[in-house]
Amino acid sequence: MENLLTVKNLSKSFKENRVLKEIRFEVHRGEVLCILGPNGAGKSTTINILTAALGSDGGEICFKGEKIGHKLRAYKQSLGIVPQDIALYEELSAERNLIFFASLYGLHGAALKKAVNEALAFAGLDDRRKDKVKTFSGGMKRRLNIACAIAHHPELVIMDEPTVGIDPQSRNHILDSIKKLRDGGMTVIYTTHYMEEVETISSRIIIMDHGSIIAEGTKETLKESIDNEKRYTIEVEENGKISADDFYAVEGVKSVKTDGETIEITSLKGVENLDRIIALISDCGEKIRNITSEAASLEMVFLKLTGRKLRD
Amino acid sequence: MHRFLVIFKMDMINLFKSPVLVGYNTVFAALLILIMGFLSSGNYADIKDAYEYYVVSFIIYGMLNGAMTASNCFMERDIKRPNLRIIYSPVGAFPIYFSKILSSFIFDYSLHLLLLLILCPMLHVSLGSNPVYFILLMAPIEFAAAALGIFFCCIFQCEETTSMLLSNVISILCFLGGTFFSLDSMGSTIAFASRLSPVKWLNDAFFAIVCDNSLAYFWPVLIGGTVVSALLVLGCRLFFRTEDYL
Repeated sequence: MENLLTVKNLSKSFKENRVLKEIRFEVHRGEVLCILGPNGAGKSTTINILTAALGSDGGEICFKGEKIGHKLRAYKQSLGIVPQDIALYEELSAERNLIFFASLYGLHGAALKKAVNEALAFAGLDDRRKDKVKTFSGGMKRRLNIACAIAHHPELVIMDEPTVGIDPQSRNHILDSIKKLRDGGMTVIYTTHYMEEVETISSRIIIMDHGSIIAEGTKETLKESIDNEKRYTIEVEENGKISADDFYAVEGVKSVKTDGETIEITSLKGVENLDRIIALISDCGEKIRNITSEAASLEMVFLKLTGRKLRD
Repeated sequence: MHRFLVIFKMDMINLFKSPVLVGYNTVFAALLILIMGFLSSGNYADIKDAYEYYVVSFIIYGMLNGAMTASNCFMERDIKRPNLRIIYSPVGAFPIYFSKILSSFIFDYSLHLLLLLILCPMLHVSLGSNPVYFILLMAPIEFAAAALGIFFCCIFQCEETTSMLLSNVISILCFLGGTFFSLDSMGSTIAFASRLSPVKWLNDAFFAIVCDNSLAYFWPVLIGGTVVSALLVLGCRLFFRTEDYL
């Protein structure tokens, strides 16, 4: 698969704080690369450097085999960027916003009109084209925010958490739109801290934490890496009579995490130890309210790699 | 050039669509002139002289406050976010800040000219035997003020800080320069302090045109204003960094 973008040893510090530690990755043409990580992982800094709005301290970025510094204007022309905050002129109509932002990429005349119409249709805002953005709902603004980034038909679309704070219906609309972009051959870099989104749209995933890439692969390969594990979530009536060490004594138990009345236990697959765990809880006089068992998920991958949940 | 014009047009639209900025430069300024002129009419031989004083001095005050118009159109929170897309686009850095300077300059200049066009006949105020000199002399001051606003934004990377700082500095300089009332008759020390304020020099230059039909200060102020404008644009070039916008 052709490499559209290659990032080598990218590093960045803000004063003493190293926010990116020589990260390396590639973006293949036509894929949706999801960058997953908690707040402060370095996702937005990576995106800001990729958009050439922020300089790096070291490393290089090559677009179609050439360093972006050599052909910065051509590189920026090939990018469509969806910033985390809604970046629209509220006092103007959806159409005026699209005309303006598409014009910045050199579109004019019939090509501009066509691009604006396509982008409005893509966002599902054709019938609201003349309305001021300030009259739109949060979800509609988010969709227009994306439409403004793709109106000029960029080769690479960079989306920085584009679904923050919107309703599930709008989120589904946006995720469907991204699948459409992917099916149309567009390459997308997508940052998020929502696992469900990654499950839905990703071709490949990069997991970041503390400024480093800690895992990379498809969702299948990442899950396979922990496929020898399973997770039980046990809810008890009052937790306090039993300690984590008691569970570690049970064969196969790898990690135990308690949160109020919920106990999360990661155990080796293939070891049938649930009855022993239940017996242990009962022996201590605890009453079990509910037990669930999960197969490998990205959440578990993240938990295994970082020792914490994504939204901790 | 096409992309610069696209940005410039949008900046002009944003400025003229702001009721606060339009109102501040027209209605508020006119009311201030009318009230101050009326209240201080007893200190002048004729009420016409009071209005003349405040039309000229408050137009200078308004021109200097143009710095805040520029900082507003550059980094005001609601404008800054969509402006971020300009940073992402294949447009160089120069058109971004220069468009803001130019649009703020045209916005303030046109509204101040409109104000003069209405107030001068209404209050029987003359701008000298040839008002063209007065109007010409306004241009470099308006431009320098707009460039100052953008330059401060480039330094402080924040519209609120810039506006607060500029507002205080301009108010103090205008107070010393005699914008609100003349300090010349308040003793030699205060008169000396007044002469230190550049606003006093501007007042002298404009009043020389209005009252004496004298161009003694015209060229020094015109050239000085142009040089300061050029230096401030150069300063923006040196200090503007796209990452300040993130």
